[in-house]
Amino acid sequence: MANVKIENVVKRYSNVQVMHGVDVDIEDGEFVVLVGPSGCGKSTLLRMLAGLEEISDGTISIGGRVVNDVIPKDRDIAMVFQSYALYPHKTVFDNIGFPLKMAKQPDSVIKEKVTKAAEVLDLDHLLDRYPKQLSGGQRQRVAMGRAIVRDPQVFLFDEPLSNLDAKLRVTMRVEIKELHQRLGTTIVYVTHDQIEAMTMADKIVVMRDGRVEQIGSPLDLYDHPKNVFVAGFIGSPSMNFVHGTIAVKDGKKVFLSDHGLELPVPENNARTNQAVTYGIRPEHIQVGDQGVPMKVVVVEPTGSETQVFAKSGPELIDALVKDRISAKPGSELCYMIDPANVHLFDRETEQRI
Amino acid sequence: MRSNKLGWILLAPTLLILFFFGVLPFVYVVFVSFHQWNPFAASPEMIFNGADNFRRIVFDSAFLNSLGVTVAFVLFAVISEVIIGYMLAQAFMREFPGKAFFRTIHTLPLIMAPIIVGSVWKLMTTPSIGIIPHYLDKWFGISMNIGTSAPAAFFTIVVMDIWHWTPLVTLTLIAALVSLPRDPFEQAQIDGANKRQIFWHITLPMIAPALIATVFIRLMDALRTVDEVWMLTGGGPGSSTRFLGVHIFKEVFPKTNYGYGSTISVIVLYLTIVVCWLLYVSMLAPRNNRKG
Ligand SMILES: Nc1ncnc2c1ncn2[C@@H]1O[C@H](COP(=O)(O)OP(=O)(O)OP(=O)(O)O)[C@@H](O)[C@H]1O
Ligand SMILES: [Mg+2]
Repeated sequence: MANVKIENVVKRYSNVQVMHGVDVDIEDGEFVVLVGPSGCGKSTLLRMLAGLEEISDGTISIGGRVVNDVIPKDRDIAMVFQSYALYPHKTVFDNIGFPLKMAKQPDSVIKEKVTKAAEVLDLDHLLDRYPKQLSGGQRQRVAMGRAIVRDPQVFLFDEPLSNLDAKLRVTMRVEIKELHQRLGTTIVYVTHDQIEAMTMADKIVVMRDGRVEQIGSPLDLYDHPKNVFVAGFIGSPSMNFVHGTIAVKDGKKVFLSDHGLELPVPENNARTNQAVTYGIRPEHIQVGDQGVPMKVVVVEPTGSETQVFAKSGPELIDALVKDRISAKPGSELCYMIDPANVHLFDRETEQRI
Repeated sequence: MRSNKLGWILLAPTLLILFFFGVLPFVYVVFVSFHQWNPFAASPEMIFNGADNFRRIVFDSAFLNSLGVTVAFVLFAVISEVIIGYMLAQAFMREFPGKAFFRTIHTLPLIMAPIIVGSVWKLMTTPSIGIIPHYLDKWFGISMNIGTSAPAAFFTIVVMDIWHWTPLVTLTLIAALVSLPRDPFEQAQIDGANKRQIFWHITLPMIAPALIATVFIRLMDALRTVDEVWMLTGGGPGSSTRFLGVHIFKEVFPKTNYGYGSTISVIVLYLTIVVCWLLYVSMLAPRNNRKG
């Protein structure tokens, strides 16, 4: 167990810079999730933590020790690669048992731990197979098994559940959380899955183009996104954005979209006529019989909830409704917005107001 | 089925050539090996003598000596070539100034005909004029005479073979190493393997197919080395470097003993096959039927 400190880390590949001064503080035993669009540098950061990638500038310390020049083997970390990285010439059993074998554990211990991990991962019937005889999801579970048989200082997971079916994913999610609670090991976890990020993380790090956009607890990011990017990235379906300006009506500030739609705003210190981006999450749009009218364009029922795309004047609005609604495309509905749920961003700087 | 027929038609020229230049001569050699045949002697006709040649070979001390010398030579040469070749291949996997240049010139020995290699090494090792004995004497006070010292002759041939054929091993191993995926090596580092463990558990098993193929090629070539040895020592001093190839050559050409020469060839071929098979089984089989 150890804390991890990433300070002003920069990564350059010959002449391209892909990481521009990343700072992340990870407490001992914390579950940190890295999210961000494809190519933003999540894997690169993980590889630098593992010691597989040289750190061009800045420092990384694990457990108070600067590890910039420490080789991977001596960092005491376990990692699940995005590409699984199984040993093609070893059976599933030998793949999972490899780290234990390298640690010179007795055969009986290896056998016991591997068998246990295989049970957890539902791999017990595949132990004699070679990686090329497995499906993508099975390979991913083998990679996972190779990590969880160990008791390292830090776990690094690079999208470890991306190839599993929905049911298995939920099981594995629980399994990983359980592992975390049992061992209390620090975990850095990369994912594209919103639910994984929100449910598993103590702390989420949102990255974009090799920079950290915001760090915070899942609900903190959900409630108080620092800028338009984080607001749009966290939450699914993603937030509605409407461009417009702040106007004053009857002595009260309101939002006036570029196309003339008027919406309520919370208490704020935006200037009158300031160009802003108005953000409201689909689940915060109350669809009903009262309020602003809108014309339904598309209805997407998912069973538990219904997603409605509608036009309010010229603006396209995405609303998420808990109940089944029988609206057909073209029909009229109304919606209301609680100003408390509104996020306002400056249009120039994209920062929260 | 139509494409199958087309396949045979396309293969036909190769098969015909293989038949006339490979299968037919082989069958003919086997045929001759059961005869006494001295085509340039007073009675040049082929006389069938059953297994006499094979019986003779078992007690032929000259042949058994050749066999021993050859096996020793093959072991020394091929093992050294594989080890040095692997180290060179690893060195060429790294970046260093002039890499492309060195990689090119290190293969030059490969394109030289064995007979040339033999004559060049003869020039370099002949006592009193050769550069190697000269400097060995000057720097280390060692006197080297391949004309009189059996070990000197033997190890000169070993070194010559290493010099000549290591680049082949290096080239095939570079090809094997370049095509390896990078992930398992990174994962092994994470899993706590040190350099030695990575070599034994990851690198070696993953390049094993290429390595075995290379060893086969070198083994088969080394077992029938003739030209360089013929050029360098002529099989001497005494019969200390009279390798199987040289032995057959001397049996067949000066003595024109075609029947017995063929018998030795057949036996050498058989031994080659046995050695390769043993090697194949010992290196490849364990990983196909291992249980977890
Ligand atoms: N060897 C390399 N040379 C140059 N650029 C590289 C190299 N490896 C990665 N990059 C660049 O670094 C950036 C970050 O890559 P990285 O793999 O960390 O992205 P990621 O956030 O993990 O993406 P994904 O979600 O698709 O896995 C990308 O723009 C990529 O093109
Ligand atoms: Mg990645």
